[in-house]
Amino acid sequence: MRVIIRETALEASEYIADYIISRIKAFKPTEDQPFVLGLPTGSSPEVIYKTLVQRHRAGEISFRNVVTFNMDEYVGLPRDHPQSYHSFMYKHFFSHIDISPQNINILDGNASDLAAECASFEAKIARCGGIELFLGGVGPDGHIAFNEPGSSLSSRTRVKTLAYDTILANSRFFGGDVDKVPRMSLTVGIQTIMEAREVVIVATGAHKALAVEKGLEGGVNHMWTLSALQLHQHPLIVCDRDATLELKVKTVRYFEAIEQSGTDARTQGPPLVYRPRTYVPAPMGASKTNQQPTPASTPPRVPKDLRINTQLNQTLDDEELTPDSMSSRMVDSAISGLDSTLKGDLMFDRMGTRVISH
Amino acid sequence: MPGKTATPPRITKFTNCRIIRGNQLVEQDVWIDSLSGKILRDQEAFYELHMSPDEVLDLGGRILAPGLIDVQLNGAQGFDFSVPKSSKEEYDEGLRMVNKGLAKTGVTSYLPTVVSSTPEVYWKVLPSLGPSGAKHRAEDGAESLGAHVEGPFISPGRNGIHKTDVLRAAKSFEDVVGCYGKENMFGPSKTVRMITAAPEVGSMVNNIPNLTAQDIIYSIGHSDATYEQAMSATKQGATMITHLFNAMRPFYHRNPGVFGLLGQNEHRRPFYGVIADGIHLHPTSIRIAYNAHPNGLILVTDAMKLCGLPDGVYDWTNGERIVKTGARLTLEGSDKIAGSSATLIECVNNFRRWSGASTAEALNAATATPARLLGLEGVKGTLDCDADADLVVLTDAPDPYSGPTLTIDQVWKRGVKIYDAEKEATNSRV
Ligand SMILES: [Zn+2]
Repeated sequence: MRVIIRETALEASEYIADYIISRIKAFKPTEDQPFVLGLPTGSSPEVIYKTLVQRHRAGEISFRNVVTFNMDEYVGLPRDHPQSYHSFMYKHFFSHIDISPQNINILDGNASDLAAECASFEAKIARCGGIELFLGGVGPDGHIAFNEPGSSLSSRTRVKTLAYDTILANSRFFGGDVDKVPRMSLTVGIQTIMEAREVVIVATGAHKALAVEKGLEGGVNHMWTLSALQLHQHPLIVCDRDATLELKVKTVRYFEAIEQSGTDARTQGPPLVYRPRTYVPAPMGASKTNQQPTPASTPPRVPKDLRINTQLNQTLDDEELTPDSMSSRMVDSAISGLDSTLKGDLMFDRMGTRVISH
Repeated sequence: MPGKTATPPRITKFTNCRIIRGNQLVEQDVWIDSLSGKILRDQEAFYELHMSPDEVLDLGGRILAPGLIDVQLNGAQGFDFSVPKSSKEEYDEGLRMVNKGLAKTGVTSYLPTVVSSTPEVYWKVLPSLGPSGAKHRAEDGAESLGAHVEGPFISPGRNGIHKTDVLRAAKSFEDVVGCYGKENMFGPSKTVRMITAAPEVGSMVNNIPNLTAQDIIYSIGHSDATYEQAMSATKQGATMITHLFNAMRPFYHRNPGVFGLLGQNEHRRPFYGVIADGIHLHPTSIRIAYNAHPNGLILVTDAMKLCGLPDGVYDWTNGERIVKTGARLTLEGSDKIAGSSATLIECVNNFRRWSGASTAEALNAATATPARLLGLEGVKGTLDCDADADLVVLTDAPDPYSGPTLTIDQVWKRGVKIYDAEKEATNSRV
């Protein structure tokens, strides 16, 4: 695992933007061989997108031959609702760059058959030869995408019920009305992320410090899904200083020393390892419906079976543990990344955020 | 095949520009479609139809505003809407010239205004002045939204420069219909959009419901009405006042007259036209009206055909002559103001300097507010999705003599660029 530490959230975000640009350039994508990029939403990624847009406007990078896959989307929220992840991506990134709309893949939270939509998403990733670089954020409870505490570490793209804390935290985007917050989401699984050839995680702000500590220094554990990256071949975590507050001084010094003595991945190309471009696609049994996504085109939308099928419902909702208040383990329980440092909000007393976890 | 050369780009994206939202300017991209001539639901087009812009225009922080709307305009380019030509073809040719010239001043739609005339004149000219509608092409320039007939049912004492011998008083609705022509007021051939008349003349006040039933706007103007008479007109359905303060009984503290409508709460306060050319009104008068009823102020030019022509003496309607001295137009042998030769964007600039209105508010007075009067909310005078893609690109720069000044850089009609000041300048140099 590589860890890069920068003093401020802005520097950390700029580091990642530079890193992604250098990766795309080194890849030399073409129409037939596009660069496949996984993308998140959230306040930390927003700054990264801003930087990427600036670099694009300055003529430094083109997204013409980039294919993107987004991590997640709400279920049942209209696509053009201001809080949908479609809208977020459009507003902060896609509308400002030269990406072709055909190259964008975002899960359809309004699909008539959600399980088929998830299976088709995995199939599309496979058809593109897998994801080259997956960019992600991390929640204060260590979640990546909507893989909240207790998510299966071998999960794939699926429907997830949101934790009550997440719904509560997100209600501020829906006029403070908890009832308006979608209850479910579609999200890529941990396994989907793990199959990307490279994973880059941004973690900024003191409220992410515990997640970083659990993910880096703790063992692999489904309660902190970030920790799954310890099993990945090429993960990179970029933190600002505040996000390292819970790490041991020794750990921080160790990673800083490695960065100083190593090569700069942004300017000197990818790490000196051989990374075969092979990809083992996801098993297709994810959907119980007999319709199989055809690789050559997007699967047709088949109306959901009208008969009430409790069996099907069971497979739709994942059976993973979705604790109601896992994030209450932390003083700052605002899940899904309100980045206090970026927003200039109140800063916590550093020692005050230290929580003894049980 | 004609017109096959240089097809304009279909989807244009304006970026790095400021647009009006409410009373403020905000930074936002705008996507337009030259095929539908509308402002695009861009996010929907992007995700659903996989559309991306054929052309991206970086406006460098300039203002992108809806095309201006002038609800009172008597002519331009030496052409007068109130003067019939020997044939309809000749008249229409003149009209086309006006439309093209007008578009260069940022006015993309307007109400061609006919001053008090004989019925024969109305029957001749009105059929050409109706709304252009769907048959209007971008390259035609400014678009008529229907005719504004100012008079002849006006007060002889408040005639301004309207000729007194053509003025009339309507006893019944039939008198009104007979004057303008039935086909100009009813059904699909309807050309009249607004009528300016004095409510106290004849039985005009009783005709107002008949007019509004035909979706014709009744505007109080050239009137000697008392406050009470003006109130009863409002009660009957008057929604507009034509060039407030000019050609009406002046404000008097014991009877505020037509102006008093801006201060009452009994009925809906009407919209009102203001000629902010620096000649018709004192800046403070405009400020008083604006403070009384900010949402109703509509900037109009009341410009006539001499707009843009050199100084001198020119023939006018009904054999009279007009003296043009700079922007000032007076009737020969008197000092009566005979309309204006200011452009609408000049009025916006004046209004912004005098009233303390924000840039957005000043532009609204020539875009969103007239659109509201005309019942064209969401279609004209806005950059909302699905509205007509009539746009102006404006530079806001300080002028050494007159302070902050908006100038028209580009004009777009129905999604197509029809004027570019930069290109015009280089062309004239060649
Ligand atoms: Zn008049």
